[in-house]
Parts: sequence; structure tokens; C-alpha cells
Amino acid sequence: MSLVPQVLRSLKNLPPFPMVAQRTLLLLNKPEVSIQELVEVVKFDPAITANILRISNSAYFGLRREIHSLQQALLLLGTQELLKIVIASGATRLFSAPTPGYFSERQGLWRHSVSCALMVDLLCRELSLPDHATGFTAGLMHDIGKVVLSLFVEQKFHEIMEVVEQQGVSFQAAEKIILGVDHAEMGGEMARMWDFPDRLRLAITYHHLDKPEAYTDDLILLVYLADILVLMFGQDLGSDGLAYTGYPEVLRHFHLRERNLQKILLEFGSAWGEAQIFFGLMGQKDGIQRANRG
Amino acid sequence: MQVVVGVADMRISKQSEQVVITHALGSCIGVAIYDPLVKVGGLLHFMLPDSSLDVEKSRENPCMFADTGIPRLFRECYRLGAVKHRMQVKVAGGSQVLGGPEHFNIGRRNYAALRKIFLKNNVLIDNEDVGGVKARTMYLEIATGRVWVKIIGQNQTIKAL
Repeated sequence: MSLVPQVLRSLKNLPPFPMVAQRTLLLLNKPEVSIQELVEVVKFDPAITANILRISNSAYFGLRREIHSLQQALLLLGTQELLKIVIASGATRLFSAPTPGYFSERQGLWRHSVSCALMVDLLCRELSLPDHATGFTAGLMHDIGKVVLSLFVEQKFHEIMEVVEQQGVSFQAAEKIILGVDHAEMGGEMARMWDFPDRLRLAITYHHLDKPEAYTDDLILLVYLADILVLMFGQDLGSDGLAYTGYPEVLRHFHLRERNLQKILLEFGSAWGEAQIFFGLMGQKDGIQRANRG
Repeated sequence: MQVVVGVADMRISKQSEQVVITHALGSCIGVAIYDPLVKVGGLLHFMLPDSSLDVEKSRENPCMFADTGIPRLFRECYRLGAVKHRMQVKVAGGSQVLGGPEHFNIGRRNYAALRKIFLKNNVLIDNEDVGGVKARTMYLEIATGRVWVKIIGQNQTIKAL
């Protein structure tokens, strides 16, 4: 029996994507974003402004001087970094529900998502790719489908795991077999409802590289690789563990050898420590509610 | 009382009320050693096989690598009175993503590095739970030396080592 109709029905109750984050996503598409445009988007949201100041002053950026104003933060960090902070602050609300199908810890999915976003950032630096906020955002949102699918995975977990163990397929493929829909497709559907930019939506849909279309954009390959590396790093692993497929052609595509991967994991260990401030965004109940005002 | 060991980290203890724990091992490996006579135990969570990758980082934090972390783990336990031939040695982690064995195999390499160090030093592994695609959390109870892993998943399966 397919659960697809039931799963799709549950999308009717999908909360709206936070306004400020939505407007910020549109800015991702523009080749140049002026500081003034970004200020216009965030200035009426005190919670996001507070987050910007908190994160700007955190160990993650390691700035020597203390930042007191939005303008100053924008000048010192640049628009790309600011876009990341605004989107991360705005998105927390979507991750606030527990996802027990995947994580026993309430914040498990948020922590995994932030880790993946940071890993995309790090890969961009390692591979000398332009460090663009789009990559960070795609990393942050890649598993958003789990928010909705969790309920169904929870009901059918043993059947899904049995398929993983007996057929040796990935957890995502097993979701598809048992539920009729997997978390990547689900995320793509949500991205469509939220009017995400196309590149971002496709990165969510194809982040496990299960369709040929996945290979059309490096962004998708980056998100895929970041996800795999974060799983290897461990820490915020879910019930799906490391049950995803490693594709060597992606390593060849980026000219990465195993030693490079080891170095990246080493770097990530330090970056992860310094980025705890991002994990903490979830803790502020007040900030989350305000972020939705727009 | 729980004492948490982070990534690339270790804790040594002889305090009987403590349970030393390391969360969600992926490709990383957790090594728990324990001397039942003096009730001294240690848990190491290392990330990568070989310190030649970054010697400077390995000096800053030897726990990152198997070849620098494992000797350190034993030495620290000896300082608290543990003796090598009495040590119980348990190992968990080293998971791998799916696909061929030729790539993304840091988990296997971590395990291989550990085995090589143990063989060279005549250390036997008493019990282990390694490999596969599972995420594991590892526990060491200082009062008894009991070691167990929790497989992260819906039932949170517990396996004694």
C-alpha cells in the first residue's frame, strides 16, 4: 500500500517559509547585492539583526573588533556572509519540530543541516570555487523533506531498515520502496511550494545523485559530497546512519583523493567547533517566532 | 555522572561514579581500555589514521589520529596505575558509506591503522563492533569496566562489548 497520498496530504499544513528568509533567497539570484538592499530586508526584524550581531562577533569569524551595528557587520563581513547568517536565522523555525523518524534529539536535523552548510562552505574554499551563499543555503536546506517525512519514516522504520539491510540499498532508496516517496523528493516538493529558486530546489531534489539530472550542476555535487563527509565525521548522525552511496566519480570530478578528504575532515573539525553559535540559533524561541514576521 | 568525549578527544578516569561516553561515531573510532584491578579506564575518539597528514595539528591534539592518540591513551592510563597486560580493550565505530571499498573508506583505514598499532604492540582486542553503515554511541562504565554501544536508530539497540 502506498503512503504517497497520505504524505502529500500532510503537505497541506506546510508552514510558510519565513518572509525575511524568502526575500533573502531572492537576493541569492542576483549577481551583485548591495549592502543597502540587504539592510532593507532585515532592518525591521530585531531578532535577525540581533543574530547577525551575535554571529558576527562569534569565534566563527574571528574578527578583532567588536561589531555594534548592522551597517558595520555588513561592511566587515560582506554580503555573502551576511546572506548566510540571515538565511540561517530565518530558517530555524522550519527545523523547530522534532523529527523522531530520523533523530532522537530534538535539534538533530538542525545540527546536521548546519554542519552540511558549513561543509559546503569549506569545500568551496578547498576547491577554490566561489564561496557563494547559495551553496551554504543548499547545504542548510538539503534535508528539509525529512521534516515532513519523519512521521511516516517513524511508522515504517523497521520495514525501511530491513530493505537497507537485505538489499544493500541506501536509506533514501528504501524510503522510496516502502513509502513511495523519499525525503529528497519530498524536500523538492516543499521547495516548489515555497517558490525557492530553481537551482536550490534541484539541489534539494537530487542531493543523493539518484537521477542523471543531478550531474547538471556542480552545486548539487557539492551538496552531495558535503552531506557524505558530514556523515563520515559523525556527531549528529541519525537513524539512517551512513546508509548512503559513495560515488567515486564525484571525487574524480573535483580532483579529490582520499588524502584530500582526510584534510577536509581535519579542517572541518576546527570549523565545527567554532561554528557552535549557529547550532545555538535554534535555542532562542523568541527569535524564531519573530523571524517569521517579515 | 556522564563525562563526554568529543571528536578527537579522550578522557581517562578512575572515579567509580563516572560513565565515559562518546556520541555518534561515524568513520571515527572509539577505543575503550580498562584495568579491572585498579579500576582505571580511558576512552579515545580518534578521527583519522595517520598523523603524517598534518604533523603540526597532531602535536596540538594527538587525539585526532590513531598513531598519536592510541599510545597517548595507554600512557595516560598507566600514569593512573593501569598495567598493560591487564587491560581490557574494546573498539567501536569505523563505519563506511555504501559503495565500493576503494573510495570514501576512511572508516576502514582507521580500523586498519588501529589493528597495525595493536599488532606491533602486542595488544589484543577483547571485543569490537566496527564497520557497516551504523552510527554508534559508545559507553565505558568506570566502576565495572563494562562497555556498550548504542546503535542509533529507532530502538536504540544496545549491544554489550
